[in-house]
Amino acid sequence: MATLSDLKISEVKLGEEHTGKWGMVIDQDICTGCQACVAACAMENNLSFVGEEDSGYGRSMHWIRIERFWEGEYPEVKMTPNQPMMCQQCGSATCEPVCPAFATVHSQAEQLNLQVYNRCVGTRYCANNCPYQVRSFNWRDYERPEPLPNQLNPDVTVRRRGVMEKCTFCIQRIHKAQDKAKSEGREVVDGEFTTACAQACPANAITFGRVDDPESMVSQLAKRSHGVKHLEELGTLPNVTYFKGG
Amino acid sequence: MIKSIFDWLKQPLGLIAVGITVLTLFSVAAYGIYTTQQAPEQPIQFPHQTHVAFGIQCLYCHPGASKGPAAGLPSQAKCWACHNQIAKTETSALLAPLKEAVLSGTPIQWVPVAQVPDFVQFNHRAHIAAGKNCEDCHGDMSKVTIAQNPQVFNMGWCLNCHVESAGEDHEKLVKLSDCGTCHY
Amino acid sequence: MSEKFSRRDFLKLAGVGAATSAILTGCGPASRYVKREPYMQMPEYNYNGQSTYYATTCRECAAGCGLIVRTVQGRAIKTEGNAGNPLNLGKTCARGQATLHGLYNPDRVQEPLKRSARGGDSTQAMDWDAAIQVVADALKNNKPEEIAFLMGMAPDHLFDLVSDLAKATGMNAPLRFGALGMFEARATLSKAAENLFGEASLPFFDVGGAQVVFSFGANFLETWLSPVSYTRGFAGLREAKTKMRGKFVQFESRMSQTGGKADEWIPLRPGTEALVALAIGKLASEIRGGAMPRAFENVDPIDAASKSGIKLETLEHLAGMFAGSNGALAIPGGPALGQSNGLAVAEAVLALNAISDNFGKPGGVYLSALAPNQSEYQRPASAQEMQEFVQKMADGKIKVLFVHGVNPLFELPTALGFGGASKSVSQIISFATFPDETAREADYVFPDHHGLESWGYQRVATGSAQPVLSGAQPVVSPYYNTRATADVLIAAAQLAGGSFASALPFKDEVEFLHGKVSALMGEVDGSISAPDLPTFMAYFQQHGGYWRNSDERVAPKAGDALNREISAEVAEFAGEGEFFFVPFVSPTLAEAGANKPWLQELPDPTTTVMWNTWVEMNPETAHELGIENDDVVRIVSEAGELEVPVYLYPAIRPDTIAIPFGQGHTAYGRYAENRGVNPADLLGQHFNEAGDLAFAGMKVKVEKTGAKKPLSRLESMMGVYGIGLGEEH
Repeated sequence: MATLSDLKISEVKLGEEHTGKWGMVIDQDICTGCQACVAACAMENNLSFVGEEDSGYGRSMHWIRIERFWEGEYPEVKMTPNQPMMCQQCGSATCEPVCPAFATVHSQAEQLNLQVYNRCVGTRYCANNCPYQVRSFNWRDYERPEPLPNQLNPDVTVRRRGVMEKCTFCIQRIHKAQDKAKSEGREVVDGEFTTACAQACPANAITFGRVDDPESMVSQLAKRSHGVKHLEELGTLPNVTYFKGG
Repeated sequence: MIKSIFDWLKQPLGLIAVGITVLTLFSVAAYGIYTTQQAPEQPIQFPHQTHVAFGIQCLYCHPGASKGPAAGLPSQAKCWACHNQIAKTETSALLAPLKEAVLSGTPIQWVPVAQVPDFVQFNHRAHIAAGKNCEDCHGDMSKVTIAQNPQVFNMGWCLNCHVESAGEDHEKLVKLSDCGTCHY
Repeated sequence: MSEKFSRRDFLKLAGVGAATSAILTGCGPASRYVKREPYMQMPEYNYNGQSTYYATTCRECAAGCGLIVRTVQGRAIKTEGNAGNPLNLGKTCARGQATLHGLYNPDRVQEPLKRSARGGDSTQAMDWDAAIQVVADALKNNKPEEIAFLMGMAPDHLFDLVSDLAKATGMNAPLRFGALGMFEARATLSKAAENLFGEASLPFFDVGGAQVVFSFGANFLETWLSPVSYTRGFAGLREAKTKMRGKFVQFESRMSQTGGKADEWIPLRPGTEALVALAIGKLASEIRGGAMPRAFENVDPIDAASKSGIKLETLEHLAGMFAGSNGALAIPGGPALGQSNGLAVAEAVLALNAISDNFGKPGGVYLSALAPNQSEYQRPASAQEMQEFVQKMADGKIKVLFVHGVNPLFELPTALGFGGASKSVSQIISFATFPDETAREADYVFPDHHGLESWGYQRVATGSAQPVLSGAQPVVSPYYNTRATADVLIAAAQLAGGSFASALPFKDEVEFLHGKVSALMGEVDGSISAPDLPTFMAYFQQHGGYWRNSDERVAPKAGDALNREISAEVAEFAGEGEFFFVPFVSPTLAEAGANKPWLQELPDPTTTVMWNTWVEMNPETAHELGIENDDVVRIVSEAGELEVPVYLYPAIRPDTIAIPFGQGHTAYGRYAENRGVNPADLLGQHFNEAGDLAFAGMKVKVEKTGAKKPLSRLESMMGVYGIGLGEEH
């Protein structure tokens, strides 16, 4: 019988063979920066709001944010295409090896970077080591006055002070879809479910699905020539593909 | 001053005092832990064994277990559907709270017995589908009144069963030992 | 404690004590002591722990997007778009997502209230019978012409109910207003359509089908008319699925979120939009050849170039782009219309479309389809009509004022004097769900349900090719002791008797709704049909409304659009000062989002500022004035002044400053109160020819105060390493 110790710490294949499992394609040319994805993420994943002062210190709990940069100077100034940035669910993540508590581990089953809240002791090494700066830390137990907690999603843990958190690719939706498919004796169909950000996006700029299935919508899109993966040169093997411009 | 306290503690009487203190602390702590593991006070001393003896299936009152994450507690309307027709309901002191709740339209406030922490996402359906029986985790309900936990629901206990049921199936083991299967 | 007992010793002992108490108390999980309340009577379609989904309509703006709300055990957990609704096709904007923070807002009005003194915090709770009696007395004991209803742009069913009541009793017809409508200049758009096409209607711009889009100030990706639908259109413009990737040019003095997506952003001098549009028309007509249309005859492109600050070559290049495309589309909107010459701007830009002859064609201009139970286009009141109404109040001609769904004390320019005029109204009754500024000035607050607890419908005014009536139903039972305003009015009308009772002969709101919708049952082209009313209403609720299957947009009759004079005059600006002033609606907060904490924490799409108001200023200008980021400056207009921190914004004209509208509440709950400023305080009473407020037609002065107020921004976090992450590749 197999035991837990038989599992190697990391079975991620490095280099080009790595395909990942879940992935995203984001079309920056049609992203309007409207923040619908940010709000949808906050509502789905029980994100705390931190208030004016803490958000001024950069402590806001956005799992997804929309970056915009300026190019040139007035009057030839341009806003670069809006860039939704969230955890890239790296195949070889830099956050994982630095965690002394094994709280940020790689999911072998779903090929995602997990954040296990009950293991996290709040060293913040992972956030320091994330080249995408997509991790946020609970600096306080942020207040959520009654009756606001009625809105909390029962499928997602409510985090407490001292815990790191980040985008999970809506793993609760992945599990729910898998559970439903299993109960009906079938596989999960492409497009059957999607993440909260992709579902809300009025421009349909975000596509989510199986990158290891060549027939899926996200794989088809990712094949387009102008797709880029951010900071790929670091060897992080990110699972999010961006289309920069037209 | 601290030094004089430590000097006093090193002499025999002091050692005895230390021993008594440690023992007291330990027993109080042990008692505290013990109380948290006891079945708590319920609004109705619900006799599980009586209902099981009548041949009522677990899923009749907790049907959510086969459908989704939560087994659920039966609505008082469901209790009343049977008890309404039973003469004893009128006279029994045990059933008085139920009668009162139904007639006055106030919900019964049960105290949960089988619980996992907030950071665990447990799904009953998957466990029933995998062939687990209710009593495997919740114990034999034909022997208890208020439900009691036969064991502490901790992660070692969960994982033990997960690894066992995976057997030689490596893919299953990966899935069942993945942190993200329960924690998110 | 002797002097030998040091602080260090104390800490050691304290540590032992703390550890002991932790051992004694901390072992059991606190959640062990929770109680579980099962359903008393579980609905048969429910299962414990499983979600139930309800279709309803979003009330965060008047667009009428369909929602599907996920509920678990009677709580609303998440809103998603209704994929069946032709308007939003399963999508939502940020405000639609955050509507749950309105439903479960800690500062809602929880029960009917009688206020001891207007503007005060002291209130007495009432029961609903007494409240209905108050409304009935107000209806009965005043002359009908002294009773007025002021309503928001949603929901439509309540507007219909009050309209019916007004028609039957001689009461003033309900007046609808919303700050979004004011900043969209809806009256100007429909007036321009009337002048050009002979029909007052809301134009529909098919952005998705176009090849080249010229937008003159229209912020259609933010809050304009129907943002979710226009965003989908924009994606269609850009996606190279069946055609080439479309180009987008934005003309505006301050780069909006919409302008940020433009391929070319043209910062023209405010007030010259009509001139520029006509000059482009002239140049494009020259390229196309043939006789010069009358509309463009008298324009001199060189003059236009010098007045607008756009180079002549740029104008020629843009004209070439417009003339050279088979699918060119020009859209007027936003601040361009909110100027003294706003109507001329709207006409000039609409007329540009005649060059590409796109009227009623894919990628062109249509008139919006009327909703299924609608006979003519109804626009909200213009600011000038509101001014007339305020004057009526001030003259004592209104004795009773009912307010629902609008917050005039916050949304109307302060200069219009609503606050002062309201003192001449003997009784003000507010139906506000939240304790807003107007509710604080009301004698009674009889809170309506939140939109997610309400029945109703909303007519989709624009954004969908198909006529859509979005239906609303309660997705959760009311959380507080609130009551549907329609129910209150129906009950009060019965009590008042006479023509009131006969005008609203309904048991309740639902019966009224059935009456308004039942006529659709017999239509052949509908999304749902049923042989009897209960079945039809069940489908109506299940699908979230009713829509026809055919495209009912109207092709505008535009034969003579170019055969008329259009004024090329430059707008006049009121007040003294060196800066043009552009107020714009916050894309994330809009008019009523400030009390939702997660909307406050959304970074503004262009500046990334959260939780506050800022004034945008060109960095060069600021440098010359010795002003830095976060310096608080005083903005002085002819109507008022306010103090606000500076955000150095690289994409604004050096002679222009801009302030977002949405903050600056003095009431409206803990997340909104005393946060930021309201630019409506600066606005004067100047209108364009269509009666819309010339909100972008002012000049203001900027004075330093010496104070600093650091703004919370998302972008500073990303600048930790000196440069932004995106610049490295």
